[in-house]
Parts: sequence; structure tokens; C-alpha cells
Amino acid sequence: MIDVEIPFRKIAVAVAFSPRCEALLAEAKLLQDRLESKMVFVHVGKKSLQEEQYLKHLLHRFGLDLPQNRIIWEEGEPVETILQVCQREEIDLLVAGALEKEGLVKYFLGGVSRKLSRRVKCSMLMLTEPSIHPAGFKHLVVEGSDHPKSDFTIAAAIAVGRAFQVEALDIIQETDLSKMALLRHEELKQSEAEEIKEKFLQEEDQKLEDILSCKDCSGLTINTERIEGKPGYVITKFAREKKADLLVLNSPDKQMGIIDRVFPHDIEYALADLPCNLLIVQEPNYSV
Amino acid sequence: MPWLICLVICSLFRNPIIRYKVAKLNHHELIQFILCIGAMLIAARLVGEFFRKFKMPLVVGELIAGVLLGPTLLGKYFPLISSYFYESHGNVGIALNGLTTISVIMLLFVAGMEVELSVIRQSGSVAFKTSLIGLIIPLALGFVTAYFMGQYLGHTNQSTLIPFSLFIGTAMAVSALPVIARTLMDLKLFRTRIGMIIIAAAMFDDLVGWILFSVVLGMMDQSGGGVDFVKTLGLTLLYAIGMLTAGRFLINKSLPWAEKNFSWPGGFLSISLGMAFLGAAFTEFAGIHAIFGAFIMGIAIGDSVHVTEKAREIVHQFVTNIFAPLFFISVGFKVDFLANLDIVMVTLVLFLAVFCKLLGAGLGALWGGLSTKEALAVGFGMNARGAMEIILATLALQAKLISEPLFVAIVIMAVLTSVMAGPMLQLLLKPDSVPLFSTLAGDSTPSQD
Repeated sequence: MIDVEIPFRKIAVAVAFSPRCEALLAEAKLLQDRLESKMVFVHVGKKSLQEEQYLKHLLHRFGLDLPQNRIIWEEGEPVETILQVCQREEIDLLVAGALEKEGLVKYFLGGVSRKLSRRVKCSMLMLTEPSIHPAGFKHLVVEGSDHPKSDFTIAAAIAVGRAFQVEALDIIQETDLSKMALLRHEELKQSEAEEIKEKFLQEEDQKLEDILSCKDCSGLTINTERIEGKPGYVITKFAREKKADLLVLNSPDKQMGIIDRVFPHDIEYALADLPCNLLIVQEPNYSV
Repeated sequence: MPWLICLVICSLFRNPIIRYKVAKLNHHELIQFILCIGAMLIAARLVGEFFRKFKMPLVVGELIAGVLLGPTLLGKYFPLISSYFYESHGNVGIALNGLTTISVIMLLFVAGMEVELSVIRQSGSVAFKTSLIGLIIPLALGFVTAYFMGQYLGHTNQSTLIPFSLFIGTAMAVSALPVIARTLMDLKLFRTRIGMIIIAAAMFDDLVGWILFSVVLGMMDQSGGGVDFVKTLGLTLLYAIGMLTAGRFLINKSLPWAEKNFSWPGGFLSISLGMAFLGAAFTEFAGIHAIFGAFIMGIAIGDSVHVTEKAREIVHQFVTNIFAPLFFISVGFKVDFLANLDIVMVTLVLFLAVFCKLLGAGLGALWGGLSTKEALAVGFGMNARGAMEIILATLALQAKLISEPLFVAIVIMAVLTSVMAGPMLQLLLKPDSVPLFSTLAGDSTPSQD
């Protein structure tokens, strides 16, 4: 069982000089204060004196011009460059702004932040509505599915929840009953089928209980809930309905391609229409 | 959808028989038809339940019910009594044949609903390698054996040698997902890593196997629709790609509307089965067998996030408890199993099937990094052919692609491979050795596949 303090010691913020740049930096300041992390600000583009001074001004304005923080200017293709920086700098968490929803064509081709989310090898936080006066996170919805990665994801979510003193942290167990439908065989009696289903669900509950029993959850209101349906879709729907402000999901087991949008991978249901801010947790050294 | 309906309707009205001649069953025929349905359903259930007591799949009992009541036994000595269970001649025969065709379309629709494209897509490299090699080797070995040793499999018509060889390859490649799932569940392996490998690989093999089989049937039936092969291929690809991409998307978008406006999940039953029949009609029109259309429609509908467990359950119960027994019991009425029992052929088919699958799936799993014992277990798991193989063989028999002795051999092979899967998996993966495989759920040790 994993019990991590704060898993995001080194955070990279992808900075573009867009209208949301200031808000993104304000959010970055809050993250740094709460998570006590080092920050790296990455900008991809030609370095000009004017832009350099503007960025320094913004960092100073938001109190981010600290000795432990760095600015990295790189030229090249934005996605590739940011990915390289993350790998080179051993970044734990990449932060970027993201639109809640992209047009159909853009979604399939992928905007910068969604492209990053599909390929980055560290955790990633996508902020849908960064604010110049950030309020932090109050309500977290966390994936608690039956997967080896969930242990670390829950630990990370609890650490973030404690840092932000969230009001509610919902851990959602998604039960994909269509997989169980394979067991819905004609030679099973209704009672037998129910018994099997119940047993499966109990096993899952026990696993989640074991994970949670090893975590320091003091000061947090943790609620566990089981939802039946397609993984990825149901948790996204739940986060939207509950008006959560951060959805925490396991990272995919492999890099996502366009085929994963045509035949959606679980996480693509969230990326297609972000219900709120999205944190994709990548367990370090996890290999598939 | 409108284009699909138009095409089907146009194709129907091109047929003068349908336009001018209205045929119907007379009073006596109607009574016999209804009697047959009732008797078949009850007999299939009674014998099926009897075999269930011995832990045998229900389908085995349903099949044996047909064998006992059909030309093999009852029909031989008491043909009149047997005809009250199934009549293969005259108008009643045509009506019953239509009913069993509808049954198989629905069975394939349900089989399609069980295929999860995302599971196949998300499965790791072991599952991919297992399914790929587990498909290629049986297909190739089956094809080569049938091509060069066709006479030992009862094939003498040289003009259909290629479709026949392709059929044998396909028959060796498919597997029975529900049987595999049930076996894995009984052995408490369903949710282990190895269980998921077997399930994902079997789904992939089924998907490719059924597509291939539909093409084979299409090759056999070029005279029926008057559509040439290139056009058939074009229409088939258009349908498959269209349904699995844009069609899937549209279905997913329209289901919430239907759920809101129709009685649900009853409405789902009629809408989904209606669409399955439309898809089936389209592929039949295109020159590919109707089952292909239903299978692809099943995948497209089953993939929707809006299809609830209850809705799935209703479709599943409706099809597997009414139409599946009708189909499987009718199989026993089509052939005299004893007269067509050729032990040499049965042995050859059984050996070929087991050898091909063990070699293919086993090598694939070994390539994926599993141990020899694990790879063998994967091979035996995927070796179960079950009901799907019987459907395959029945359709091939109807298309006159295979002889009756080969049909009997394939049916016996399907039953035996399904029955042997459980004990072999148990032998290879004894409970104390199960923890060797990191479970998808509980083991936090990073997986190495």
C-alpha cells in the first residue's frame, strides 16, 4: 500500500501568452503555496526581450519569482518541446490550461493540452477555468477503480485534498457490468448470478477499504460510492452532476492515439468534455 | 439509417415472388408450426436442464435434444412423432427455417454486444500477441490442411476448395467467449491478469473470425443477390466502417433521446433488435451473410455508454432463452448424427482444432512474456469453441460448404473443446499457483507485460 505525502515536488507550468496566462500563474502560485513545490515555467517560442520582461513581471506580480523557481524558454514544436522538458527536468506534475470542450475536428486532432495529456509521462493537471483569484479545490472526485494504479492515485488525491483542505472527497468505484455480462450465461440461475456479482463487488469494496485503511485521511470527509456503467464515462458524469472542481483519474496504461478517440479509452470520456479541472495521476516507475 | 432502409426495401421489391404471390400456411400447417415451436422450446429446456445438472453447458443439452428427437433417433423409428417437433419439408419447413435464421441473426447480435472494442484496444501487448498469433496460426494451419487434405474432411468439390479451406481456417480460429468467461469464473481466474488476456484475445479472434466467415459465405453465395464481389466488398467495408465509427456515434447520441421518449428498457429491445435486422438485411443484400450485419450492429449498440445493464439483460434473456434453444435444437434435426459419424474425421478435426489453438495462442502468449505453463493455460482457455462454432458449422452446412459428416465432427469438436477447457485450466493453474499471476485488481506490483 502506498502512502505518499505530496507526490508533486517539482511542477512545470506550460505558459503561453494567452488571455488566460495571468489566471494560470495565479493558480500556479496557489499550487506552489499548498503543495510546497518547486516550479518550472516553460514557454515554447522565440525569446524576445519584451516577452521575457513581461513574464518576469507576471512572476513577480504573483510572488512566483522565488529562487527555487526557474523559467525555461525553448523553441520548437510546443507539444514535443514540453514533453522533452518534462522528461529532462524530471517533472512530477505538468500544469496547463485547457478548454472544457474542443470542436469535433480539434478534439480528434488534439489541441496542445489534450495532446500533452495523452502523451506526458508525468502527472498532469488541466485547469479548465483558471482564475486570477483562485479558490483552490473544494470537492474532489477520485477514481477508485479496480486497478493497480488506483492505490497511488488515491494517495495522491488524499495528499492534494489535505493540502487544499477540501470539503469533500468522493472515491468512485466504477463497475463495468458489461464485462460481467460475459458471465450472464444461460445456465446461471438468477440467484447464482446475483451471488457472483455480489461477491465481485465485495472483493472490490474490500480492496478499496484496504487501500484507504493505510492512508492518513484525518481532516478529510471521504465518501466512497459505486457507480455501474462504462468506466471513464460514469465518473465524468458524476463529477459534472456533483459540480466537483477536480476530477482525479489514473493515467492510461499506454499512450493514447487517435484510435482511442474513435473507440474511446476510459480517460477519453473526460477529455472529450472536461467536467471540471482534471488531474491525471501517473505513478512514477509504473510500467505496463 | 434511411439509406439503409431504402436499399433493403428496393432490393425486396425487385423480387417478383414477393410482389405478386402471397403465400400462407393453411390451418393444419399453422397448427403444426406452432406445435413445433412449443415442443422444441420445452424439449430443449428439459434436456438442457438435465445436462446442466452435470455441469454441462445448456447448449449441449439443447443440441442433444435435437439429436434425440430428430432423424438420428426418434425420427428414424417414429417419423410422425418427430415431425411434431420439427418439420423440415413443405411450408412448415420453410417457416421453421426462417425462424431459425432469425434466431441465428439475433444470436450473432448478442455476440456482437459482448465484444468490447475498448477492451481489445486497451489490452496489453500479451493479449494482442496472443490474439494475433492465436488467430494467424489456426487460420493458416486450418487452411493448409483443408486445401491439401480436403478429401479427409469430406470435401470433393474443387470449385469451392478456397472457400472451404478458408472456412476450416476460420473454424479453427474462433473461440467461444461465454464458455471461456464461465470457465474462468468457475476457476476464479476471470479477474486475474491471465483471465483478462484470454478474454481480450478471444474477443479479437471472434471479431476477425466472424468477419472472415461472413466473407467466406459471401463467396459461396455469389448467385443469390446479383451483386458482384467488388461491390460486395465495397458495401461490406462501407457498412462495417460506417457502423463502427459514425453509426456508433449516432447511436450513442440518439439513445438518450429514445430513452426519454420511449418506454424503457422495453423500447431498447425493439429498437436494438429492429436495427439488428436492418443491418442483417443490408449485409444480406450486399452479398455478405445477414449474420455479419447483426454482429456489427451488436458491437455498435453494445458499445454505447447509454446501454444499461438492465437493457442488456433483457435483450440477452430474450434471445438466449427463446431463440438460442430454437436454433440449437433445430441443429439436431438437420442431420442424422449417427449415420454421419465418422470417427476418423472427428479425430482429425479435434486434433487439428486443439493443436492449432494451443500452438497459436500458446506461442502468442509465450511471445508476450508468459511462462510455458501460463501460455498453455491461455491456449486451453481459448480452445473452447462452444456455441459459436456450432453456429458457424450450421451456416456452413446450410450453404453446402461442408458435408454432413464434417458438420457432425465440428459439432463434437465444439462440445469437447468446451468441456475440456475447465479441467485443463484447473490442472495448469491450480489454486495455489494463481497468485503467481498479478491480478489486475489486487497486485500493486507493476505488471511486466
